[in-house]
Amino acid sequence: MNISRRTALLGGASLLASPMIARAQTNKVEVVGIYSLSGTFANVGDLLNKGTVMAFDHYKTAAGKQINYTLLDDQGDAGRAVRRVQEAMGQGVRHVVGCTNSAIALAVAKEVHARGGIYIHMAGADEATGSQCNKSSFRWPGASYTAIRATLEPFMQANPAAKRWYTITGQYVFGESLLTNAKAVMQEKGLTNLGNSYHALSEREYSGYITAAMATNPDVLAVLNFGNQTVDVVRQAVSFGLKRNVKIVVPWCTGLDQYQAWGSDIVEGVYFGTNYWHGVESPGNRVLSEVVRAKTNNATNYLQACGWAVAQMFVESANKAGSLDVPDLTRAMEGLTYEGPTGTETVRAADHQVIKNYYLMRGKARSAMRDADDFAEILQATKAFMSPEQAGCKMA
Amino acid sequence: MNTFSAYRPFPDATTGALAIVLVALPFVLPSVTLASELVVFAVGALSCTFLLGLVGLLSFGQGLFFGIGAYGAALILLHSNSGSLVAVLAAAAMAAIAAAIVGFLSVRRRGIYFVMLTLAFAQMGYFAMLALKNVTGGENGLTGVPRPPIVADLGVLAHPQAVYAFLAAICFLAFVLTQRVASSPLGSVLRAIRENDIRADALGYDVRLFKIAALAFGGFLAGLAGAMHTIFLGLAPPNTIEPEMSERLVIMAIIGGTGSPMGALIGAGFYVLLADFLSTLWPRWLMIIAFLMIAIVLFLPNGLWGSAELLIGRWKSHRARAVSPEPVDG
Amino acid sequence: MQGQVILFQLLNGIGIGMIYFLLSVGLTMIFGLMRFVNFAHGTLYLVGAYTAYSVSLLTGSMWWALAFGPLAAAVIALISERLILRHTYEMPHEAQILVTFALALIFQESIILIFDPLAKNVPVPSLLSGIVFIGSFVYPAYRLAVVFAAAVIAILLWFALERTRFGAALRAGSESTEMVSLLGINVQKVFMVAFLVGGGLAGLAGTLSAPLRGVEPFMGSEALGVAFVVVVVGGIGSFTGALLGGLLIGVVQSMASSLWPEGARLMIYGAMALVLLVRPAGLMGRS
Repeated sequence: MNISRRTALLGGASLLASPMIARAQTNKVEVVGIYSLSGTFANVGDLLNKGTVMAFDHYKTAAGKQINYTLLDDQGDAGRAVRRVQEAMGQGVRHVVGCTNSAIALAVAKEVHARGGIYIHMAGADEATGSQCNKSSFRWPGASYTAIRATLEPFMQANPAAKRWYTITGQYVFGESLLTNAKAVMQEKGLTNLGNSYHALSEREYSGYITAAMATNPDVLAVLNFGNQTVDVVRQAVSFGLKRNVKIVVPWCTGLDQYQAWGSDIVEGVYFGTNYWHGVESPGNRVLSEVVRAKTNNATNYLQACGWAVAQMFVESANKAGSLDVPDLTRAMEGLTYEGPTGTETVRAADHQVIKNYYLMRGKARSAMRDADDFAEILQATKAFMSPEQAGCKMA
Repeated sequence: MNTFSAYRPFPDATTGALAIVLVALPFVLPSVTLASELVVFAVGALSCTFLLGLVGLLSFGQGLFFGIGAYGAALILLHSNSGSLVAVLAAAAMAAIAAAIVGFLSVRRRGIYFVMLTLAFAQMGYFAMLALKNVTGGENGLTGVPRPPIVADLGVLAHPQAVYAFLAAICFLAFVLTQRVASSPLGSVLRAIRENDIRADALGYDVRLFKIAALAFGGFLAGLAGAMHTIFLGLAPPNTIEPEMSERLVIMAIIGGTGSPMGALIGAGFYVLLADFLSTLWPRWLMIIAFLMIAIVLFLPNGLWGSAELLIGRWKSHRARAVSPEPVDG
Repeated sequence: MQGQVILFQLLNGIGIGMIYFLLSVGLTMIFGLMRFVNFAHGTLYLVGAYTAYSVSLLTGSMWWALAFGPLAAAVIALISERLILRHTYEMPHEAQILVTFALALIFQESIILIFDPLAKNVPVPSLLSGIVFIGSFVYPAYRLAVVFAAAVIAILLWFALERTRFGAALRAGSESTEMVSLLGINVQKVFMVAFLVGGGLAGLAGTLSAPLRGVEPFMGSEALGVAFVVVVVGGIGSFTGALLGGLLIGVVQSMASSLWPEGARLMIYGAMALVLLVRPAGLMGRS
């Protein structure tokens, strides 16, 4: 075979391209997922992606066309995510799902919007359906306002004696907005906020903050952060014996995977707020649970459910529109109602936020657990969302 | 460790080679954005190549200055009406000043101490970014950064091709400037410091001051790269100032080899393309890069570019010997 | 009231500081002894913690973990010294740094491969899971046990360094390797032991802190950063420096978290910068 140097070079170079995304074929639809499989956020990216893959494997088609899903690994880097999306869209892709963190989601949302695509994600930042909302982006989970309202309000109602609160907050945008919302609720209910301790995003040692909290002798300790830090703060608070006379409330919790990280000794008696619980009885969750159980032999966790939900939203909107053109999809998506992982879910047209249940849960004692995953019981399911005006969404 | 060779005529053959590579990149690579990412990191890696190769300073903290450049440019573009070029240069100058301050504290210590300090300061920068979230946007970063024309109304950066051309031009100038510094009297002093700083001190040079100047220039290059990154993406994400960014720049510089500025381009190209390719195959691709790094340090101490240069040199002398009628060593 | 908080924070700070000491003492010893900087030192902490996790999962007991965590880290330290690091002793510092840094990456990625990238919980040993009442305030028994255990180890270590022939060789070796050879001591053996002990102590730090903070694959690189600060503050090569540096950093971090929580982490680096300005060689370092 006689390959000229130049073609060999070009061939080699294009081999280095991001995953080969086949030219749009008439009977197929190309969908890309943006997740971090390497880098600092690899811990969540992998599970999110698995949820999306399972959903597309399950649905197979959207608007009658076969779904061809490609994962783009952004390596935890918003810059790389944007570049990957630019490249994919340059090759004709219009449908993008997924994100591993808010920085990536906000950046990708801008890029997809500017290039006329549609983007469905699970960012935690309020801005995603607030000040930085746009016509092309849709968000599945409830964010900080939802987490606080759906957790604290029912908790306060059930525990009227718990008047003195202390908060430990992650000193970053997400933690800050949890705190702002929590303070508003406390003020409305006339409760005392004894104080707050901030910790940094990379903090690992919380004994100092917990000590400061204990010194104020509170009735309730609210933990306002996310991810591993939530796990650490609660673990250390429990080790300081805080559970004896203080109620611990964690409005933003991912549920099963975090309960597993804690173990039931820690989870028992603690209050959690979560976007998803595998034990919820609903048609949408039954499908999801069966698929995940068949694939992994385990119960579904929040991350898998998120990955699933964004994929499902895409399929549902395409089927409703009967088309894969972005304007049709956007129109179908606005006001879309479907049987999702948390029951009947609706996409609000004004800010592209999915209106869905958020759960207040309480940890069970080990003796009360029906199976290894039955860590907590749902006390209340609430759909609490800020109005689009409050959120500050001006749809562009 | 491989080092900048004693004296290089300026501009030399590599300057021309660099120009050709920069022009060819967008045509050879599958996408122009990939080419843009490559030139951004080439400048970033150059800051490590310069410090290690010319001055013998291994800095695990260039990510801090990369981040300052990235955030600086984003803030200038968001809050003022300056053109892209002014924003890039101003941000790089901010990074240079920061590097001089960090340098002032860290050149008090040599060798290992210095490396540890750069690493610690890089971590500090990350915490500072998070603490100043009102300015930096915290973990969300700064998004929606405009991309105004280069100067006044000239040089509109609407298309990825135009952005690449702008970035490639800065990259070229950064390399030429680095070569210029290396072949200047300042470069000779820095080289002398690298070889033996005690002797350089005895010769009456203020070693500390020269090191601070070198670090400031290294910070300038890293800041330039960070600002280019912001222009490239239209955003300043938090990972531009994470300690991992520092590590990435060092890895690139080492893989390419620190014997010549070209090493930075080769190293950045190799890393960016390999990461792009490997990450689609195996999420744990970083492990391959790590093995590669061990292999390069143990077996190719001159890096990819240095080894290639060596090979070319041998091949040339081999040919010269073959052609020459008389034995060379006769 | 206020006094109680301060006492609390002081106790916490000492606890964290003792773990920082265990983490850093190996790094500083190995550097003092052979001018070798080990960027893979955080890996040993990581290995200790993950061994504790696996062992406590398999046996249901943290006590076995306490034995196996340091052991696994010591073995890993020894193997990497014999197989790879030994070959870099003659190389410049930069080469050593890069090789050990790459090793750390390889271990981190391997941990993700073997386990998964998610954080895991390690239960506190049941005997120590309660809380202790000291006067009117409570304190976790496990944290108190960590302080005591680390103090005992520090004393033993000090004794081994100051009162035994081998310790004398170690200390002498950190002054001049030729002198040790002249004394008829096998330098290679001294190096091996330093790696074994230093690695084991970092592994112990990982094991002890596993129940406090859980385990996750990126804890090694984070620990390395802390260890560097401790070593810079304490002075390279100094045992007492590592102890003082660890305690100082631990207490500063803990106190700052009640005075200025936002900047608790920044304060560590602030303390480091201050020490550098006032005593560039570190608290116990020789210039």
